[in-house]
Amino acid sequence: MLERFPYGRAPLWLLLVALASTLAVFVTQRLDAAGRPDLTFATSAANHMEAYREAAALFERRRHVRVSVELVHSRALQTRLQNAMLAKSPVPDLVELLFGDIAYFTRGPLSDVGLVDVTDRLEKEGLKSRLVESRLSLWSSRGRTFALPHDVHPVMLMYRADILASLGIDPNAIETWDDFVALRSKVVKDLDGDGIIDRYLIDLPVGEAWGMNILLLQRGVTLFDERGRVTMNQPATVDTVYWYVHQVEGKDKIATQCGWGQSLMKAMKDGLALFYVAPDWRTHAIEMEAPNVRGLFRVMPLPAWTLGGRRTSTWGGSGLAITKATKNVELAWDFAKLLYFDREELGRRYRATKILPPLKDSWSLPEFAEPSGFFRGQRLGEEFAKLAPDVPPDWSTPYKSRAEDRIGTVTLHAIEYFRAHGDEGLREMIQQDLTEKTAEVEALVNRNVLGKE
Amino acid sequence: MKQRGLAPYLFLAPYLVVMLAFTIYPLLNAGVLAFQQTNGPASRVFVGLDNFRFLLSDPTFYQALWNTTIFAACSVLIQLPLSMGLALLLNSGKGWARGLLRLVLFSPNLVGQIFVGVLFSVLFTARYGLVNRFLHALFGWGLEKQWLQDPALVMPAIIITALWLYVGFNMIYFLAALQSVDKTLEEAARVDGASPWQVFWHVTLPSMRHVVVFVVVTSLIGSYQLFELPLALLSSSNGRGPDNAGLTVITYLYDVGFVTGDLGLGSAVGWVIAAIIFALSMLQIRVSGVVEE
Amino acid sequence: MNPLRLFVLTLIGGALAFWLRSPKNPKPALEYLRWMALFFAASLILAPFLWLVAAAFKDREVLNEHIFFPPLPWSDKTMNLENFRRLFAGDPSVQGKVYFWQYVLNSLFVTTTITVLQMVFCSAAGFALAKYDFRGKKPLMTFMLGSMMIPSVLLLAPLYEMIVKLGLVDTYSALFLPYLAVPYGIFLFRQAMLGIPNEMLDAGRIDGASEFYIYFRLVMPLVRPMSAAFCLVTFLGNWNAFFAPSIFLHTQDKLTLPVVLNLYLGLYRADYGIFLAGTLIAILPPAMLFFALEKEFIGGLTSGAVKG
Repeated sequence: MLERFPYGRAPLWLLLVALASTLAVFVTQRLDAAGRPDLTFATSAANHMEAYREAAALFERRRHVRVSVELVHSRALQTRLQNAMLAKSPVPDLVELLFGDIAYFTRGPLSDVGLVDVTDRLEKEGLKSRLVESRLSLWSSRGRTFALPHDVHPVMLMYRADILASLGIDPNAIETWDDFVALRSKVVKDLDGDGIIDRYLIDLPVGEAWGMNILLLQRGVTLFDERGRVTMNQPATVDTVYWYVHQVEGKDKIATQCGWGQSLMKAMKDGLALFYVAPDWRTHAIEMEAPNVRGLFRVMPLPAWTLGGRRTSTWGGSGLAITKATKNVELAWDFAKLLYFDREELGRRYRATKILPPLKDSWSLPEFAEPSGFFRGQRLGEEFAKLAPDVPPDWSTPYKSRAEDRIGTVTLHAIEYFRAHGDEGLREMIQQDLTEKTAEVEALVNRNVLGKE
Repeated sequence: MKQRGLAPYLFLAPYLVVMLAFTIYPLLNAGVLAFQQTNGPASRVFVGLDNFRFLLSDPTFYQALWNTTIFAACSVLIQLPLSMGLALLLNSGKGWARGLLRLVLFSPNLVGQIFVGVLFSVLFTARYGLVNRFLHALFGWGLEKQWLQDPALVMPAIIITALWLYVGFNMIYFLAALQSVDKTLEEAARVDGASPWQVFWHVTLPSMRHVVVFVVVTSLIGSYQLFELPLALLSSSNGRGPDNAGLTVITYLYDVGFVTGDLGLGSAVGWVIAAIIFALSMLQIRVSGVVEE
Repeated sequence: MNPLRLFVLTLIGGALAFWLRSPKNPKPALEYLRWMALFFAASLILAPFLWLVAAAFKDREVLNEHIFFPPLPWSDKTMNLENFRRLFAGDPSVQGKVYFWQYVLNSLFVTTTITVLQMVFCSAAGFALAKYDFRGKKPLMTFMLGSMMIPSVLLLAPLYEMIVKLGLVDTYSALFLPYLAVPYGIFLFRQAMLGIPNEMLDAGRIDGASEFYIYFRLVMPLVRPMSAAFCLVTFLGNWNAFFAPSIFLHTQDKLTLPVVLNLYLGLYRADYGIFLAGTLIAILPPAMLFFALEKEFIGGLTSGAVKG
């Protein structure tokens, strides 16, 4: 029989396995637990789960309801939400979204955004003034806010304190980017004589957008304004691209690209670059993933563009939104406040995730002042909190990734031009390219007939 | 072959049911959407041909099209001959070494595309990545090459990754097809004094032609639908790469449809892509001269 | 002159040596070169897997220190089963803890069921298209081929809508029903069956066989190699499928392997250790299937020869 099974031997085996596993699945899948929970909350951040589950348990006890917290892959969550808009299918009551993901939902008329408008609630309950206001920019459209900010993500530089000390460089003396660039002669060297430079000043990317984004935001340049108009074509943009090109290319360059993951960790250990861009989430990630650089790093604010100017920027963010499909907005809102704005909770949360919350009055909690063994005893919480109020806004629109992409293209073209022609005509080339690319973004923005109010 | 009553329809019944239930509606939906701008169920605006007009005047679309076509060309012209070659080399069942080699060459398909993307993004890192280290050790060149950040190297990186992934895949189909080739015909040709290459080209290959057509057409279609791989490889830019060097038509579709949120435009892109693939497939089938039995 | 260059030169030298021994007879040299080429290809293919195996067993502390294995001797600190321990520790969920083996079972269930179903329905449909003429055949084939070309990403949203309307969200049926018969498989079987001579079918009919008998007993055994190839490919495609299951399945204990493993690759932090350990385990069932199927589509299958 085995040999004569017409489909073949292995399909037969597959059939048997299929039958067996069907039975097994029937037996092992637990029938759904008693009824639907009162609130479902979905997040894609695995490292928040622990804290969220605890908060959910607390809320369940206080309010005698059932809350379910799910971990869903960010793309799956995004797709489910998007499809739910079309199909009116069940969605979680609360969702934690990554920066940029909300833009999809805000592209049409404000009344059509599938998320609850929390602008008035924030105002009425006095929360707005307690938060770092610039963070609302990530979650707002045309003056209305649709999600609560989870974080501030102020950006600092983390640096190899040991190497800097051995070179006799005082980080406190670095106040502007000009001071920073001037360190080049001391730092950038070929250490082992093989013709390849082994030590750069800073890790900056060439093909990725975050480098330019952070610097532009620091200077107060946003790609869109709060009403969604395209504002990327500014003299400051040209200037920043010009500066950037000189730092990543040419014989006077100070930056190299260290990448992510294994190669980044190795670079940090080897001292391939001395300075790394570090928002609060990155300092935590490094601490978790690179135990072998413990005690070698410290943090300092970003050098300012002009003396006395802003010394921080921002990178990324998550936010909590309540879907309009929820049956009980008040319950969801209360849970949201517990998750994000419960002051005592936030202290413990900080200790676990090292992410600075946007609630200003929570920063005085003792957890934020704890010294970090990893960073040579620096009180990271305090350092980030000092810069937090200064974090620039970053207005979100559906076209932001396109715009960032275009800035990246301008930068790449500028680098190629610089490589071929040097400094001559570089500024003009950048301006021209920028104007072209801005027009492309505007074309896309302007054809949106639904978003016009 | 005459019509044999209801038999063919019965054999096709499961497919027809599935098609009517689950394929027709989405297709119609996508068809209607192509002429609209959307934002969820409540707001839809009929815009006629504007989506197509915009699409065909967007330089980014053409860049995506160019990238994808390069990739498809390399797939068909480099990958498939390699797969065929490997299949020929490993055809006989004798020896455990051959069996092991078959498994090894096929093994990249055992893992998912996301893993492959993650894996290769590590392998392609400058300075420390395996690829650069290997090239540097062998040729003394390429230590600092930024495969995934240099616009000129992104597509080659994707092609290399796809090569690693798929060369063993089509090999399997060719191996299966080689089983049905009539050995006596090959023997006869050899006895007649044909060289191995001539035997292959004039006897073996034509006997495999149906499967070869299948492989070429599906490779072509698959290449134009490249999406998960660049997404995983270039995750920091959502699959686009520096200067959109890794942008494929599907990534472009995803970007306009699901990131900027205009499903109408996305549908228009989908139809244009389908039309292009269709034209290419028809052309390719016609050229190979194998239309029907 | 580093070790790698030395190695390559030795290889080439070997080929030359073979050739010089008997210049008139290039066969040994060619055979040697062929094996070297295969060996080279195999090592290129295998190198990333070596990285995978090494990374799955490396302790987090040293994961980023060494590309492959840490230098010998290995201690508890450098190589251990920590990643696997965390992998098997289980995830909390609404229904209680869900353990890794549950995901493996789910994946096994989904994949084998889809493969078996598609095997049956696609071969039947392919048979109809290969060996029959009927009204509507041309348009149907054109439609089928065309439907393969629409990017599936686009069809996902309306499909999801349908699944919701049918009340099949968060069920396994959502993964089975829309994919009972797919054009890819139908096309494959059609091409495989085109080469079967019609005389054989007619002979069967004269003998009084039903159409189904012809399909099941006469034709299918002849395409066993292609059936095996199809099974393998379909199994793999579904075993590693991520997008559809991640959207249609919601409950934690229903999830399949790829969905679960990718949850560990977040945007801010990627827990490579668990991801890689899980990937390593996830490779085993398909590898076993490959070994089982290998004989089917490699030489040696006696009942597959088509005569005349």
